[in-house]
Amino acid sequence: MLSLSGTGIGRGIAIGRAIVLDHSHRQIPEFTLSEDAVEDEVKRFRDAVARARTGLLRILDSIPPDSPPETHAFVDVHLQMLDDPVISEQPVESINHERKNAEWSLKTHADTLIAFFDGIEDPYLRSKKNDVHQVVDRVLAELLGHTVTDLSRLDDDLAGYVVVTHDITPADTVTLHQRGMTAFLTSLGGPISHTSILARSLHIPAVVGLHDAVRYIRNDDLLVIDAANGSIILGPDDAVVQEFRDRQQAHREEIASLTLLHHQQAITQDGIQVALLANIELPEDLKLLAPAGAEGVGLYRTEFLFMNRSQPPGEDEQFETYCQVLDTVSGPVTIRTLDLGADKQVDGGRTDGERTINPALGLRAIRLCLNEPALFKPQLRAIFRAATRGNARIMIPMLSSLSELDQALELVRETHRELAKEGVEFNPHVPVGGMIEVPAAAISADLFARKLQFLSIGTNDLIQYTLAIDRIDDEVNYLYDPLHPSVLRLIYRVIEAGRSAGIPVSMCGEMAADPEFTRLLLGLGLREFSMEASSLLQIKQLVLNTTVCDLEKTAKDALQCLEQDRLRNMVEQLNIDKVSTV
Amino acid sequence: MKLEREIEVINRLGLHARACASLVKAAVQFSSTIALKHDGQSCDAKSIMGLMMLAATQGTRLTLVVEGEDSQQAVNRIVELFSDRFGEEE
Repeated sequence: MLSLSGTGIGRGIAIGRAIVLDHSHRQIPEFTLSEDAVEDEVKRFRDAVARARTGLLRILDSIPPDSPPETHAFVDVHLQMLDDPVISEQPVESINHERKNAEWSLKTHADTLIAFFDGIEDPYLRSKKNDVHQVVDRVLAELLGHTVTDLSRLDDDLAGYVVVTHDITPADTVTLHQRGMTAFLTSLGGPISHTSILARSLHIPAVVGLHDAVRYIRNDDLLVIDAANGSIILGPDDAVVQEFRDRQQAHREEIASLTLLHHQQAITQDGIQVALLANIELPEDLKLLAPAGAEGVGLYRTEFLFMNRSQPPGEDEQFETYCQVLDTVSGPVTIRTLDLGADKQVDGGRTDGERTINPALGLRAIRLCLNEPALFKPQLRAIFRAATRGNARIMIPMLSSLSELDQALELVRETHRELAKEGVEFNPHVPVGGMIEVPAAAISADLFARKLQFLSIGTNDLIQYTLAIDRIDDEVNYLYDPLHPSVLRLIYRVIEAGRSAGIPVSMCGEMAADPEFTRLLLGLGLREFSMEASSLLQIKQLVLNTTVCDLEKTAKDALQCLEQDRLRNMVEQLNIDKVSTV
Repeated sequence: MKLEREIEVINRLGLHARACASLVKAAVQFSSTIALKHDGQSCDAKSIMGLMMLAATQGTRLTLVVEGEDSQQAVNRIVELFSDRFGEEE
């Protein structure tokens, strides 16, 4: 029995036998053509491109109508790339002029293109070199006779099989899914690659980014995959297989039983009441609240109202949208003020078009709003006016210094004065809170807490800034760790700051939605969680099965633990009788 | 008629593969030549590879240069795609 780990995609558990398809170590022959062979070689290359094209069209035709809409788009991208002279004509020049064989001409040309992509600074755009790899691989496979359609030669019924390979294209993911593939494992790929996005929406458990680890897997090996952790057990014994089968079954039953919980209050075994709120982006998301049993909105991301348009929404338009939300939700609605990025996203606002190299550290969120009262003030006015209709709270994102907070609070007071003077109906008692997501604010949370009525921990940015890693960057993603002792200490510090100031502290990042951390956070004193509505019932179930006083000691001991392995063990201890891990 | 227009990439992911694909799909509907220029680099808006290699991230300003009989319609359509953020969800 051997265990391997990579980046898990999706949440399911899969048990199946391996089908290893590896064309990564394909040998590319290189030779010089005789002069009279050149013409035939060009024809051979064009034929291969045409066959690759037919293959892609076939895949496009066979996409079932109920597939996610992006499925077509992914295959379409590859078709267009194949049709682009940069891919399908330029190698011909090298066949003609250098008299090299088609495979070599294509491969060297592709290497130049890939080197170009490697030089792109933006990690997302850079990662598109994988698409070049995949398209070129298709043509190479046709040239070399053994094909990507290695896949099409596979049995039509792949139920019970785990496909193990170097990389899978989005198109192949669809084909394999149609044939019932149970799961897949790849050496390449990361959490944001097209294939991973697709796997998530098709609910295919997968582990990507396994690098050389895939070499340990042989055809027909039995595998157990836990996609939530990105872990794979190779050659499990009967007991392990049985354990995972039980977990699979429990997972299915849990999903069925969770829906029964939506009316129940989230109270721990020792009687502590926990608030479970939902994150929303647009008023449309409100319909998800009731089925999930959300008590309110812990994070309303208002910037979505400002995107996808040339002019920012005016005060009245914002007022109406906020009213719509407040009229629908009976519990608290935490409205986060604009968290636009460093680059200009709305016209009529900022005028300079200089690009910032590091937008996460640039003029964004409250920094941008203070810089541009003309953008910020109408939002404040709209919120205070709408707040007569319901239970609104204002949350200021990205606070890093107290003077910023003072300026923001002054703008709040100024807005109150203006509205009062104009005789407009508004609510002057809207609680103002701060989002704690910059380490500077977390460290001095006690000072911020004195001036605010609530705090909310934004873990996504807090972790990114504390550990100095760009979450979107594939190459440093492995360092992204919510259990890093420094992250936990900052979180605890904020919770404590709120407690001594007597104000509520909530958490609205991904960490709040991860059942792995629920008990740890409860043990550290967190009492308010806000997350995507889809995760809420699962967390509620965990809350119902938790006795907080039993956790507190271990949770606090965890803060003193410098070794990450031991810390992980402690968290496992906390979760030991956790009802489910998926 | 030759038309020039400044455009800005406003969608979060920049000119990513799917955005480029929809741009190409729109561009090939027109007989005009359509180029996008950035930093002295110019690419044919009918070539997905060229567009992808432009590596235009959010906030990048591009110059759209369109020449031909249907240049006005082409400019309108392309500007529309950029301001729709290529249908990208945020």
